[in-house]
Amino acid sequence: MSVALELRGLAKSYGNFVAVEGADLAVEGGSFLTLLGPSGSGKTTILMMIAGFTEPTAGRLLLDGRDITALPPEKRAFGMVFQGYALFPHMTVAENIAFPLRVRGLGRAEREGKVRAALDLVQLMGFAERLPKQLSGGQQQRVALARALVFDPALLLLDEPLSALDKKLRAELQEELRALHRRVGRTFVNVTHDQEEALSLSDEVAILNHGRIIQKGAPAALYEHPRTRFVADFLGKSNFLRGVVREVGPEHIAVQCGPLRLRHFGAARLGEEVLLSLRPEKIALAQEGDNVLEGRVLSSAYLGAGHAVVLETPIGPIRVHQPAWRAAVEPAVGEALRMAWAADAATIVEDDDAA
Amino acid sequence: MEGAYKPGPLGRSLGWATALYLVLPLFIILPVSMTDQRFLSLPHEGLSLRHYAGLFASSEWFASIAQSFWIACASTILAVTTGTLFAIAAWRLSSRATELLRALMLLPLIVPSIVYAIGLYRYFGWWDLLDRFMGVVIAHGVTGIPYVVITVSTALASFDPRLEQAARGMGASLRQVLAWVILPRIMPGIVSGAIFAFIHSWDELVIVLFIASRDVFTLPRRIWDGINENQDPIMAAVAMLLILFTTVLLVVDMAVRRKRDG
Repeated sequence: MSVALELRGLAKSYGNFVAVEGADLAVEGGSFLTLLGPSGSGKTTILMMIAGFTEPTAGRLLLDGRDITALPPEKRAFGMVFQGYALFPHMTVAENIAFPLRVRGLGRAEREGKVRAALDLVQLMGFAERLPKQLSGGQQQRVALARALVFDPALLLLDEPLSALDKKLRAELQEELRALHRRVGRTFVNVTHDQEEALSLSDEVAILNHGRIIQKGAPAALYEHPRTRFVADFLGKSNFLRGVVREVGPEHIAVQCGPLRLRHFGAARLGEEVLLSLRPEKIALAQEGDNVLEGRVLSSAYLGAGHAVVLETPIGPIRVHQPAWRAAVEPAVGEALRMAWAADAATIVEDDDAA
Repeated sequence: MEGAYKPGPLGRSLGWATALYLVLPLFIILPVSMTDQRFLSLPHEGLSLRHYAGLFASSEWFASIAQSFWIACASTILAVTTGTLFAIAAWRLSSRATELLRALMLLPLIVPSIVYAIGLYRYFGWWDLLDRFMGVVIAHGVTGIPYVVITVSTALASFDPRLEQAARGMGASLRQVLAWVILPRIMPGIVSGAIFAFIHSWDELVIVLFIASRDVFTLPRRIWDGINENQDPIMAAVAMLLILFTTVLLVVDMAVRRKRDG
């Protein structure tokens, strides 16, 4: 795969406020990249700079190696699905989808053929003559997708495409969006604050905070090996254990964490202070393992698929997620329990979460 | 509206009194227009349609109606074109300067028309526009601009700017965005403005009194002269037809608005 889109030190500031701090990013052709971050992290600003609606204060933007930084949006003509879809309310579904073709001066017959193919692609045959306001949110979303893809753009940009939909519909459309991406084989750049959406849709995720790209990688790599505390915390939930490295072995290190000496699979310098990120689902209740900790149940919530338990321990409160089915114990508040995790369960992360 | 306070007896009677006060003159005009007498009066012995017949037989009245109509059409085109272009420009540029200009554009609504008329009389004298079709069209067109600026600006205020971004993002040029996205979206506002500009010209008297005399003799001018000179009940018949015509225009305006809001 070759690099389709490249951001080189792309930055945007408004007066003294820095919205995006020199973003470097390479998007592979045909891949699905998601920019993930909390609101105000600069993800939408980056998308708007890619689309051409926002002018960067510094840096360059390359499409297939060609510099497009100075091109106006109508010359870039990337497909875009807006938050709230931005369908033309005075046009029917078919006219909406035909718009980018009409702009390009395509003949009526050719237009109709492509519109039909696009409607078919998003499974909206039979809705051609409706007005947008006569469609449900999910249907409008599909019209927006068809309109953005009908003219075969080099890049499809998605600005929080699923945020306006309810949870169940969102899951359905996530599935469809992924299938659509496989079918059309285009490069997709998506923006969202929903970590589940980012994990399930993307080939790659770039995590942003305070206008900076903190880490980029495949969803599993990001989840399993977060580089910083922010990434670990934003992408799923995590316990954070602070300690000092007391022993360095060939494969394992020993970390002194309060009264506890933890076995950790990894590398660090002797005497170094480290922060360990430990996912709640990697801790087992009432079992034995490399690291064992005693605690008292503070609270326990039943979530259907599992229990979310918080335990008071000598090293502070610890969250544990335990599958409900065939669980070793039914956690009850006040109960004393033993928990355990493997030496390779935790990850050393950088502590960047000053805020 | 659901959950709103119900009007009390005071509010209810005040509302009806206001409505009555507004329509009462119309109820006087109707019987006067059907008087059997030869001067402006209420019918004495019976109702008659002879003044309506007289109106349709009179070439003078017809000439004035036609002249007023064409002047109203031409000045509406002038007001709609300039007003719409200005409203779009002010909306897009949206700076302190455009806000100042917008206030200037509304000036004809604020300045008393007699003051305006005196000023126009001076300029039109220099430019040889007195008692000319073109002169009245320009005067009515310019004073009709504020109606268009107001209605079109209101329509633009509810225009979703993302629609323009979406169109641009799909490769549309400024001209295409204007023609295919912005204009169709604000068309109800333009139509409303056009109707108000038309009505404004259609019943404008003060300016016409100053800048026209013989060649241009609009309908309001003829009614005015008729009342001053011979108390002819044809005027009441004309007035009834004017009321009917204006009502039709306002109903059209309401229908257009309903379509936009619905």
